[in-house]
Amino acid sequence: MTSATAGRGRICLALHGSDAIFSELSSTYPLKLLSPRNERAGFAVVYMITYGGGLVSGDSVSLSVDVGPRANLVLLSQGSTKVFKFRPGQRAASTDALQVTTQRMEFSVASGGALFLLPDPVTCFRAASYNQLQTFHLAPDASLVLLDWVTSGRKSRGEDWVFARYYSVNEVLVGGRRVAKDVMLLENEDGDASGLPVRTLASKLAPYACYATLLLYGPQVQGVISALTEEYGRISVFKTGGPAGLLWSLSAVEDGGAVVRVAGDESEGVRRWLGEALGGLEMVVGLEIFRRAFG
Amino acid sequence: MADETTILLLLSDSNLPTGSFVASSGLESFLKHGFGFVPSLPALTTTLSNNPGTAIGGVNQSQSPPTPTPSGSSTSKAEAITTFIRDSLSTYAPSALPFVSDAHYVVSALRSSGGGKEAPSRTLELLKELDALYEAMTLNHVARRASKAQGVALLSLYSKGFSHPPGLGLHFSSPSASSWNANATASDGRIDNATNDADTHMSTLVDTFKLAVRCGDTDAHGHLPVCWGVLCAALGLSLARTQHLHLYLHARSLLSAAVRLNTIGPYAAQQILLHVGGALVNVQLGKCARLRTGVRIAEGSSGGTNEEEERGWDETTDGPATTWPLGEILAARHDLQHSRIFNS
Repeated sequence: MTSATAGRGRICLALHGSDAIFSELSSTYPLKLLSPRNERAGFAVVYMITYGGGLVSGDSVSLSVDVGPRANLVLLSQGSTKVFKFRPGQRAASTDALQVTTQRMEFSVASGGALFLLPDPVTCFRAASYNQLQTFHLAPDASLVLLDWVTSGRKSRGEDWVFARYYSVNEVLVGGRRVAKDVMLLENEDGDASGLPVRTLASKLAPYACYATLLLYGPQVQGVISALTEEYGRISVFKTGGPAGLLWSLSAVEDGGAVVRVAGDESEGVRRWLGEALGGLEMVVGLEIFRRAFG
Repeated sequence: MADETTILLLLSDSNLPTGSFVASSGLESFLKHGFGFVPSLPALTTTLSNNPGTAIGGVNQSQSPPTPTPSGSSTSKAEAITTFIRDSLSTYAPSALPFVSDAHYVVSALRSSGGGKEAPSRTLELLKELDALYEAMTLNHVARRASKAQGVALLSLYSKGFSHPPGLGLHFSSPSASSWNANATASDGRIDNATNDADTHMSTLVDTFKLAVRCGDTDAHGHLPVCWGVLCAALGLSLARTQHLHLYLHARSLLSAAVRLNTIGPYAAQQILLHVGGALVNVQLGKCARLRTGVRIAEGSSGGTNEEEERGWDETTDGPATTWPLGEILAARHDLQHSRIFNS
């Protein structure tokens, strides 16, 4: 049998003077939360880590995060979030094989506070099924940088979008009002009744191996948004003979926020692009934290 | 009220002023970006290696890859368009149909209830809630713009095009005819026919909804799937027909765009629509007809996660979603094209 587990985490961060201090930082197996020291006033960094290097079928992780007034939290992961159908070493004998792996995260950011959610991408292995549900409750003058990205699998094993299902929802509410709800479902399906050959997820997403969604909101990221908007406006597309190695788009959302989407033929290329695109964040979070996220 | 076949014929007229004529739903951008015609793998490899593309500008024009064999044969073009329609339907159906279905449900409920005192305003609130959710879920500004333009056009179509002509109403003076016109109803004083009552409620509802959109109500946007559900329910079209026709028209409008982009000819477009389009629409109907938005459209619900569980609605399997991030990016990049003939 798989040992499906339910990990819980809780982070409460508050600003005392110029120090961001955790009033709570706790987690249960398989989730682990680590906070390295950092020098930036008003900032705290937390790494989200899963024991065993990944999640398996049936696992569920839930994290609840409160960022207090004017406090700043940077959430990172250590390497990509790997989603296995089975725990490494286990064989397909499990009866839990069809269960979904679920990560549910609730964030609330108080007035003047900021959340920088900058994890490595999710990598779903062959036949894995994954749900990720993230909700963000922001005070009207709170800020958010939300990065959510997914790769095509383990290149070394020739995996190319061969997981069973990936479902991701990011819902952002500002002052209780929903300003964005991004729901993306990537699914490999069996043949359908159209009489046409099966349309694999890989062919639908080709030639790209990594897709990223970036949601920017609030006063602390206005500089980043205007720089990106300007950059985007300078692009002029002429008829090309084939797809570019990286494509991105930018759309404004309510009240000065922005959604950026990126597709790249390799995830490292997307990471480099993100590091450049979010270059303005270095001023906001400081060099040390910026390097932790994009170095 | 006209029978269902007549309504279907009316609604599938390609001359209806619905604004779909200027929409390509991302097809123009898709082709411009070099997708669709990937004649052979070597050409693709050349493209990618010539264009590391990690520079922040995305496509760097000065490094445009050499065009591979001039955009393929007519067969491969037809294949490319068919594939685009398939992928486009596969993301449009799960993202839009839940809104068509729920809007249809709330308006049908009002129509059949005959409308009490509270009912019309409750219906309007629900429509705005659906509309606001669709706005929040449609994060691609080009698609959002096209959806609003076409949705509002449908509301106008109902109030201007499908209401009864005042002169004819008097001339034929059937009780049902006069009820199409709200003024006529008011001057008649009283209506004893339930259908007439329903028509009046529908006209009032559509006009009120349209007014809310026009006045910039923060929740009323007039998105296409919501307005389509409203229009079809107001006309008394069944849910199944409403869903089917919506996806069918999406496919047809893509083919029409492909013809105007000179990618395929008009005969090929009809061939695709007849032999493949219908099947692709049916596949998506089979998967997405049951999806709902999660907005509490039935009476007596108080909301919350437990409420959802009670209703047996699971967001991750029964709710709206987009399924083609590549399509999203390309559609959003529509406005970046140096020259373009469509608005979306």
